[in-house]
Amino acid sequence: MDKNAALPRRPQPNLAWAWCALVGLSALGALLGAAFHEAGWLPAAVALVVWLKGTVVARAFLEERQAHPFIRWVLRLFIAFVPLALLLVAVLGRSAG
Amino acid sequence: MSGLAIAMPPPPAADRRIPGNHGIWVGITCEFVEFALLFSVYFIARAHYPEAFAAGGARLSSLAGGAITLLMITSSLFIACAVVSLRAGRRRRSILWLGAGLLAALGYPLVKYLEFGWNLEHGVTGGAGIFFTVYYYLTLTHLVHAFWGILGMLWALGRHLAGAYTPERHDGLEALASYWHATDIVWLAIFPLLYVMA
Repeated sequence: MDKNAALPRRPQPNLAWAWCALVGLSALGALLGAAFHEAGWLPAAVALVVWLKGTVVARAFLEERQAHPFIRWVLRLFIAFVPLALLLVAVLGRSAG
Repeated sequence: MSGLAIAMPPPPAADRRIPGNHGIWVGITCEFVEFALLFSVYFIARAHYPEAFAAGGARLSSLAGGAITLLMITSSLFIACAVVSLRAGRRRRSILWLGAGLLAALGYPLVKYLEFGWNLEHGVTGGAGIFFTVYYYLTLTHLVHAFWGILGMLWALGRHLAGAYTPERHDGLEALASYWHATDIVWLAIFPLLYVMA
């Protein structure tokens, strides 16, 4: 019995696209950080970039959509953790200031 | 024949697969919990010392951070290609992809070694302030996890060369790939927190 029967059997173009997306998003995040160091919206933008990168790895490389629901939830929770914490610290810091 | 048919477990539904095996997902879940705790330390420190975190990143080598990011996502791509190639029955190509993934992954400790040397030359030590304590704590822990992944790649490459994996049965290779992709996800969060946001 082949438990991999439903999975892709040829190197998928989406793997290469995922790599391009990850390089592009990482470069975008670095450029935003360098160009808009003081901007109030920077944490929100970086949070979005971090969430997108994690989601790309989970979907394209880890084949999250075919995975057991427990694995899907572990991945989604962890990938959302840093962006949510970034937003929380930014909002609390602004309200404290 | 009917007895055999009854004894066979049903195939997993298309959306209930375990990539690799159960054991590696216990490990990956533990890795995520460990880094969630470390990230919590980062955010608590950042909330209490915003000036130290705003100034700290400028003293790090963004070139090293960018190079490690490129190495991590490239090795992840190569290892994903190794799994998909093996599923297609292309064993030799799968071995080459895995070897390429290992080579790219080995670049990570090399760049980290050079980065730590550069840090010491510029006075960036663990005692240089709260930001740098958190930086060394996070990056060294991630480096340890990357070492486990590199050892796993060496083991999987040896098993692959010995013919242990087939298009139908390659749980070990897929477990390694899952672990490395998870370690990649962790780095993709560390990079902006230390090198971009700060």
